[in-house]
Amino acid sequence: MLAAFAHPVFDSQRSFRELLQAMARPAMPRALPVLPPAPAPIAPAAMAILLTLCDATTTVWLQQPEGEAVRHLQFHTGLKRVDKPQDADFALITDPVSMPPLDAFARGDLRYPDRSASLIMQVSAFRADGQTRFAGPGIRTSETLAIDGLPGDFWQQRTAQAPQLPLGIDVYFVAGQQVVGLPRTTRLLEG
Amino acid sequence: MTYNFAFLDEDTKRMLRRSLLKAVAIPGYQVPFGSREMPLPYGWGTGGIQVTAALLGPDDVLKVIDQGADDTTNAVNIRRFFARVAGVATTERTVDATLIQTRHRIPETSLREDQILVFQVPEPEPLRTLEPREAETRTLHALADYGLMHVKLYEDIAQYGHIATSYDYPVRVDGRFLTSPSPIPKFDNPKLHQSPALMLFGAGREKRLYAIPPYTEVESLAFDDHPFEIQQWEHQCELCGSGESYLDEVIVDDRGTRMFVCSDTDFCGQRRAEAQA
Repeated sequence: MLAAFAHPVFDSQRSFRELLQAMARPAMPRALPVLPPAPAPIAPAAMAILLTLCDATTTVWLQQPEGEAVRHLQFHTGLKRVDKPQDADFALITDPVSMPPLDAFARGDLRYPDRSASLIMQVSAFRADGQTRFAGPGIRTSETLAIDGLPGDFWQQRTAQAPQLPLGIDVYFVAGQQVVGLPRTTRLLEG
Repeated sequence: MTYNFAFLDEDTKRMLRRSLLKAVAIPGYQVPFGSREMPLPYGWGTGGIQVTAALLGPDDVLKVIDQGADDTTNAVNIRRFFARVAGVATTERTVDATLIQTRHRIPETSLREDQILVFQVPEPEPLRTLEPREAETRTLHALADYGLMHVKLYEDIAQYGHIATSYDYPVRVDGRFLTSPSPIPKFDNPKLHQSPALMLFGAGREKRLYAIPPYTEVESLAFDDHPFEIQQWEHQCELCGSGESYLDEVIVDDRGTRMFVCSDTDFCGQRRAEAQA
C-alpha cells in the first residue's frame, strides 16, 4: 500500500488554501503544493483533494472503482463509497469522456443548495490560448481558459443547469499539478 | 498540555473546510456547520476563530482587530490564542497580514488579492429580527423573497425621513442572496463590492458560515429616490487629520469633552508616523 500525505496536518492545510483560492477565483489554474502517491486510475492531484476534504462523514462516488484505488482511499480517509452518483458529496471522474450526465449528480435543494455534489475531474490539460471565456463571482472581468479532455456536450449540459441557480454542481478540474475551480456561478461567455 | 496545530482537531477542520468551499461556491448563502465549543464565550468570536483555525498555516501572518483596533481585549486575546496554539506570526499592520480576523470593521487600507478577511458574526440571518422562525427565513431565501426587508427600510423612511439603519446594513450578494455584512458600519459596505480579497464569515452560536468571493457584485439595499449613503463627519481625525476614515467619538474627561479619532488604529498610526518622518 502507498503512503498518503507525509505531513497530514500541514499538507492538507496548504492544499486546502489552494482549493479555496481556486474556488474563489474560478478558471484560474493554481498549483497544488503537495502531490501524494496515488494508485491508478487516480491522479496525484485528485488524491490531494480527496485526502484534504474527505473522511468518514463524506460520501464519494468513484467512476472507476478499481480494487487498489478503493482500498487505498478507504484506508487513508475512511470515506463512504456510494454506488449511485446521486448520493455522492464528492465524485471522482477519472475518465471524463465516459462520465454520466451532469444531471446524475445532486444539485442541492432550494432550502439547502449546499447539499450538492462536488466533482473532481481529471482532465488532460489547461490552455490559456483557448476561445472559452468565463465570467461570474471571483472573476474581475473575464478569464480565458481551455480545458482539454471533456465530453463534447459538457458545456451544453452545464449551461442547461444554469437557470436552476443557486442549485448546481461545483467542479475541481485537475491536470498534472494544477487545479481549476469552477463553481456553479461561473458563466461561460458566448463566442 | 499540547493541542493539535491551531487548536481544532483535523476532522473538525475538514468539516469547516468543506463548508467554506460550498460557502464560496454559493456567494452569500449561509452554510450550516457543526460549530464546536471554543475556549471563549459565544459572542466573542467563536465563529471567526473556527474559520481562522481552519485556514491557518505556519506561514501565515495573522492580524486581529476589534472595531478597527488591534489593542482591545477581544483582539489581543484572539491574537495571543493563535500565537500560542499555532505558533504563527502576528502583526498589527494591515499590509503585512495574510489573514485578518475582524470584529465589526473592514480596514481602511485597501486589501490585496493574497489576503483573506474573516468576520465574526453574531447574527448571520439578516431577516431574523423580522421573522424569528428559521424554517420561514430559509423558505424566504429559497424563493428570494426579500420584500420584508424592503418594507423595513421603507418604514424607516416613513418614520424618520431616511433609512436609519447605520450598521449591519443588508446587502444583496451576486444579485441573489440577501446577506448580513456582520455589524460593520454602513461606511464599510462599499468595500464589500468587487473586493480583491476573499471575505469569509463565521457565526459560532448560530452555526453558519458564508462568504463573499473576490470581485463579486455586492449591492446595499436602497430605493431609487433614497439611494444608499455612507456616514459623513464634519470632523477630521484629531490624531492624524484623516478626513476619509471612519471616526469614533471618544469622551476624554468627566466634563464631556469629546474628540473624534480614527477607529482603525493601524491606519491612524501609519499616517502619524508618515507625518513625523
